[in-house]
Amino acid sequence: MRAKKFWNQASPIIVLTIVVTVCVSLLTYIDSITRDKIKAQEDEKVLSMLSSMFPDMSSYEYEDEIYTIYTDDVEAGYAFLAISKGYGGDINIMVGLNMDTTIKEISIISQEETPGLGTRIADPAFTGMFTGLDINDVALSREGGKIDALTSSTISSSAVVDAVRETALEKIKLLEAKE
Amino acid sequence: MGRFGKEFAKGLILSNPVFVLALGLCPTLAISTSIDNALGMSLAVLIVLVAANIIIAAIRNFVPAITRIPIFIVIIATLVTIVNLIFHAYLPATYESLGIFLPLIVVNCIILGRAEAFASKNPVSASIADALGITVGFMLALLLISFIRQLLGTGSLDVMGVHLFTLPGLGEHPIVGFILPYGAFLVIGVIMAIFRWKGVMKSD
Repeated sequence: MRAKKFWNQASPIIVLTIVVTVCVSLLTYIDSITRDKIKAQEDEKVLSMLSSMFPDMSSYEYEDEIYTIYTDDVEAGYAFLAISKGYGGDINIMVGLNMDTTIKEISIISQEETPGLGTRIADPAFTGMFTGLDINDVALSREGGKIDALTSSTISSSAVVDAVRETALEKIKLLEAKE
Repeated sequence: MGRFGKEFAKGLILSNPVFVLALGLCPTLAISTSIDNALGMSLAVLIVLVAANIIIAAIRNFVPAITRIPIFIVIIATLVTIVNLIFHAYLPATYESLGIFLPLIVVNCIILGRAEAFASKNPVSASIADALGITVGFMLALLLISFIRQLLGTGSLDVMGVHLFTLPGLGEHPIVGFILPYGAFLVIGVIMAIFRWKGVMKSD
């Protein structure tokens, strides 16, 4: 009788402990076999993005959230991630800078804008306007800059423009401090 | 029809998880923008639901009633995390496009619903049939909704990187609304209404 009563009270704890232990061990195992693959996957994504932006790239270094791009061991440019609050969610933008801190290229990595309207921020027609600009010209044209806002997607457009400018200014300050 | 067949078949139409039970509507509304997403989501749900039903049916006699929900949730969360890691490692494109809705399968009421309502009271074989039936029902629902939304919302049909066809007229001027959230409500609402209507006709 006593043993039965003990079992009735202890079994929830014992069974739950066993289940949790088994689950955690299993997860640790799966994590250990997928970790390298996931890391490689992420690295490859960065590499393909950087090399499409800097076709001559031979290697890159990542420090202080800035990618420094090297062509034959000579610094060729910088790249960094700019994150912006768009109309539908975060917009992640990869920004490439030339050595003279003009914009090399920008590319939208991920976004959750309105399909057909805000999503046009990823089109070359929009991102192409950034190419070659001085940082101070990265602003919407109605604010004195050189980027034309997309029709009926002003929020998405200015989100990209502001994030690129703010982040670039911050990173340039960081780069100058280092030299 | 044997028991296996019966448990399988009920998930397709009679207890279709989306249109009849109205379970798992949140991921259904969110990811049914393209057929690719629908297939990816169905694959994830298939793995999780079948494995969860098997495990829970197998241990059902050892699970104390008072802690059954935490135990089910731990098992389901473990399975979802495994699927999440494997998708991230081997199906990166699907992983990216499903986004947050892949880990959210943990709280998908279809999974816990089947564990609680079926697998915890039935043997393993019947639970597998139940899981397969419900998943296929879920997949059919997702495919139907995403087919309509993708076709009308983008004007063309692309599946797994293969361009199938473009609708004349709609190709240049797609009805973008169908890709947006309200398009999902519209499509699901109309299909549910048809299901109800057919159901009412049958019971008369």
